[in-house]
Amino acid sequence: MMPGLVRAILAVLVAALLSPAAMAHKLREQGVAVTIADSPLTVTPGRDWNRLDGNIGKRTENWTLDGGQLNDLTFFAGIEPGKPLVRERSKKREPLPRFGASTLLVEIPELFEATYRSAKQIADFRVTDVQPIRFLGQEGVMFAFEYVDGDELTRKGEAQAAIVGGRLYMISFDAPRLHYFARTVEDYRKIVASARLP
Amino acid sequence: MIARARLAIGLVALVAGRMGQAEPALPPPYAGAYQPQGVDEQGLWALMDEEERRFAQSDMVMREAALQAYVTKVLCDTVGADRCGATRVYIVRVPVFNASMSPNGLMQVYSGLLLRVHSEAELGAVLGHEFGHFEARHSLEQLKTQRSSGDVMAWAFVLANMAPSYDVVRAYRNLQLTIIGNFYRFGRNQEREADGLGIGYLNSSALRPQAAAQVWERLMSEFTADARAKGLKKPRFDRIPFYATHPPEAERAATLTLLARPDAATRDDGAARYRAALAPWLPQLLEDQIKLNDFGASEFIIQSLAESGWTAPLWHARGELYRMRGAPRDLVHAAQFYAQAIALDDTHAEAHRGLGLSLLKSGQTAPGQQALRRYLALKPDAPDAKLIGMMIPKEVPAP
Repeated sequence: MMPGLVRAILAVLVAALLSPAAMAHKLREQGVAVTIADSPLTVTPGRDWNRLDGNIGKRTENWTLDGGQLNDLTFFAGIEPGKPLVRERSKKREPLPRFGASTLLVEIPELFEATYRSAKQIADFRVTDVQPIRFLGQEGVMFAFEYVDGDELTRKGEAQAAIVGGRLYMISFDAPRLHYFARTVEDYRKIVASARLP
Repeated sequence: MIARARLAIGLVALVAGRMGQAEPALPPPYAGAYQPQGVDEQGLWALMDEEERRFAQSDMVMREAALQAYVTKVLCDTVGADRCGATRVYIVRVPVFNASMSPNGLMQVYSGLLLRVHSEAELGAVLGHEFGHFEARHSLEQLKTQRSSGDVMAWAFVLANMAPSYDVVRAYRNLQLTIIGNFYRFGRNQEREADGLGIGYLNSSALRPQAAAQVWERLMSEFTADARAKGLKKPRFDRIPFYATHPPEAERAATLTLLARPDAATRDDGAARYRAALAPWLPQLLEDQIKLNDFGASEFIIQSLAESGWTAPLWHARGELYRMRGAPRDLVHAAQFYAQAIALDDTHAEAHRGLGLSLLKSGQTAPGQQALRRYLALKPDAPDAKLIGMMIPKEVPAP
């Protein structure tokens, strides 16, 4: 058997055996302000959400309603210059693009796109809209996107970002284009509107 | 059965030919439309027919009729019109070098393959190799392997369901992909056989069979360049999906050269036709590669495409590649590359955008804004027009 297969089997086995004790998802209740990933960023959800514990990075948090494949709300709470948006599988063999001190606001959609493409090894990703907005009381950027994931399903997404004190703050949402995106996008926008930095 | 025996004789002749003097391979006589025999093969075909029904609707399939027709034509030119009637070609938008053929005649061609071959003969060499697996019905021999991996899958699924976290689901999905990949991993001897058949088709076509060895050599160079850029000691050839179980590189290159008809070396390899046919899709294929954040491989691909002459899309792609890596020295290079693209095609809007951003980031405000203005003039309805527009009047850091 080739190493890839062995590794994949081991990953499933290890995760399956360890998880009941080590992992626990948390309920995020409507109207209760919560901090994100031990950062100064707080949001107040307009409805109940589930925080997933499958951690994809030190400064990120994943929330969902029906599971990560159906609605994926991701917070990037203060990515430092020189760091990738999510944890790399292998820093050496599969590096991800990095946020930098000189990254411009207009380059944030490109950074997000390149991260999705390289982390998922996909080719079909389109940024469909980019607009200047106010986010966290700063000049920010809103962008909409659409991509086909490895499971051959087309997903739509939206994200808002701002660079505050040299760090990147961003909240993104993506869900299958069919039904799920339209159903939940307003809940996502309410969370974005409630985001505060002290 | 008679068809099978004839094929076997053809293959024996092929192998015998290889063992003796360096004799160019020729394909066995075509056996005509084949129907599956026995429960195993019929079941396999039924499974693949079902899979094809689903796959034809997949969002990953590129539905550009002209591109699909062109790739099909290259396949038909390679294997001959009679054989190619047994296949359906689907182009899939996946940025890796790969192609595969299912036992029922479904051929998948990955967009990453189209970016990496340079001529009709090279594309034909890869497609002919896959067609060789199909004609020799290697997947039936692999059925047993598939059965045992089916057991592995069943257990992994049970275990994955015990821990319903996203990461586990993802790992399970990777496992599923790997096993499907495993299904198409043939044994080394089967690969040799398919190589022989593939080059046999090229020998009896009008294309240049020597191109087969070139594809192989260039791919090895790409992986070497990529490993060097990442600071790895040596490249991992077993990670190349297409070549994972293929014979060692030296042997393969030698065999392919040996089997090619020497007198066919002067034939046209269709490089100019290939470039012309792919030109409309090249910018998209390049973008799909560059945004993978794989600097060494992308730089190698651009350089090797530029051997036949630099074009505006190639310079632009190189600029994007360097701007994305974004070190101060990269920005200086990026600005030069964008300028080269603009020199060749002043209406290339994206090149003006890249030039403007690179100049702004390296502190050259006025020329940077000038380039962005040109971008907006050329493409007023660009998705990011509003944001770029805001950068022009007041602009970023005061020097």
